[in-house]
Amino acid sequence: MTRRTMRVREWLIERIIHLAGILAIAFVVLIFAFLLRDALPVFRQNSVGDLLAGRYWRPTSTPASFGMLPLLLGSVYVTLGALIISLPLGLACAVFISEVAPTRVREPLKSLVELLAAIPSVVYGFLGLLMVGPWLANVLHLPIGQFAALGSLLLAFMAIPTIVSVSEDAIRAVPQALRHNSLALGATRWQTIVKVVVPAARSGIIAASLLGLGRAIGETMTVLMVTGNAAVIPQAFAGFLRPVRTMTATIAAEMGETAYQTPHYHALFTVGLILFLITFATNSIADVVVRRAGGVNAQ
Amino acid sequence: MSTKIAIAISISLALAAALVTAGAGCSRESEAAATIRQLGSTTLLPLAEQWREAFNHEYPNVEIAVSGGGSGTGIKALLAGGAEIANSSRPMKDEERAQAQAAGVSPVEYVVAHDGLAVIVHPANPLDELSVEQIAAIFAGEVNNWNELGGPDSEIVIINRDSSSGTWQAFKDLVLKSREYAVEALAMPANQAVLDSVSRYQGTIGYVGLGYLNESVKTLNVIPPGGGVAVEPTVANVQRGTYPISRALYCYTDGEPSGELGDYIQWIKGPGGQAIVAELGYVPVPE
Repeated sequence: MTRRTMRVREWLIERIIHLAGILAIAFVVLIFAFLLRDALPVFRQNSVGDLLAGRYWRPTSTPASFGMLPLLLGSVYVTLGALIISLPLGLACAVFISEVAPTRVREPLKSLVELLAAIPSVVYGFLGLLMVGPWLANVLHLPIGQFAALGSLLLAFMAIPTIVSVSEDAIRAVPQALRHNSLALGATRWQTIVKVVVPAARSGIIAASLLGLGRAIGETMTVLMVTGNAAVIPQAFAGFLRPVRTMTATIAAEMGETAYQTPHYHALFTVGLILFLITFATNSIADVVVRRAGGVNAQ
Repeated sequence: MSTKIAIAISISLALAAALVTAGAGCSRESEAAATIRQLGSTTLLPLAEQWREAFNHEYPNVEIAVSGGGSGTGIKALLAGGAEIANSSRPMKDEERAQAQAAGVSPVEYVVAHDGLAVIVHPANPLDELSVEQIAAIFAGEVNNWNELGGPDSEIVIINRDSSSGTWQAFKDLVLKSREYAVEALAMPANQAVLDSVSRYQGTIGYVGLGYLNESVKTLNVIPPGGGVAVEPTVANVQRGTYPISRALYCYTDGEPSGELGDYIQWIKGPGGQAIVAELGYVPVPE
């Protein structure tokens, strides 16, 4: 092969990789543009305040109302609950895998946790609807086994693999010298983990939680099946034990039966746009946090 | 190189030729076949789509175009000559009949199915009957405890359908009328999901099409608006029109239909069409 053909080949490969990189960005921009195009017409008849702060989601009544506050709060409740459950569990699991577990146990355990991510969400939904929900309703004396906290519980298990693998990477990236110094100063292993290692991996752990949050807020099938889909504004703590309706479930349940280019259709795209902006923001923040600390990227 | 180009050109020419002839064939065929445009009520839409499919198995040359839009839209289209069949979930209004007369259209009415909705509760619920007004108050969220209706002291959990479903709309039209469903109502994606939830949890109340009923739930007898004897939700009572949460579903044509249109209407009212009515959870019309 001559030097010239090699150079041409090199140039071609470089261009192709370049194009792939640009395409990935172009897709995100295009998705955003199309969401925007189909969402904007709804603002012709409804003000931003009516949509975001409206208390009633009644898309097929006459007159229709597209108040998205119940859906927004529904998503916030389910996601917040999922984080409350998955953060301590995921963090503890990551600490165990990287700091405590013997090497023999470490790799199988890691694969097992990652296996959680391989279970299809409809299976989680099924388990929740038919087994966990009725059981919890019985134990907690709830009138019905479809409620916000059930969605949170199942989403927590779906977010745990993300949280574990990202924070485990961050913990492992903490320099060995820090641990040695801490132990040399007389700190116990527990004190070293809690006071030195985890704080040092702080930014990676924050990033892990944000990625877990992004995973939870975008999940659709499970919440559609187990949260009851009542477009009600959740009230304080009791709201966790009552049915709610999330943004994702609303889109999934209604898009199929919505006539093209109607206000309802545009309102559903607006819900999608809000979801897109939320996940985009959490992922960007996670990215910034990780980059500033050089945590996960250093791996 | 030149042979490759020649091959490419000949392939594209062949493709273009094929497309042109196919297109021409298409348009000639659609001119020859009768086109029946059937539009109106969204309640009737799933029925009409299945009717078309099954009818086309027997009569492949009849082209039927089905669309929704609502009962009023269907009737307007019939009067304006934009449809051969108008689907309607209500009888034609007097003013629509007057408009028809003015437009020189003489609508002929066919009852093609009945839509009957049973109100269901958990088998352990001691109540046997409720009035339409009480049912409306429950689903609107004005009554929240079974003890307000003579039942046990327990919270009422409303199992509703998703707001995009035709059953949701039918129950609203027949029971709640201008009132809105309570926001606390759970929204289920299908009749089967309503049955599952109601058969599993004690404080629930829901509704399903009569054709979906099974032994896992208890049906309530319904007292008509204005009082009277509670009526059991049975096929016979729906066909007779005595069960209050039911309605007839109509097709309208302009004048007595003949030819393929007549065949189609007869087929809908016959065993073929009525089997589909039962299959989709509606109540068939008696022979």
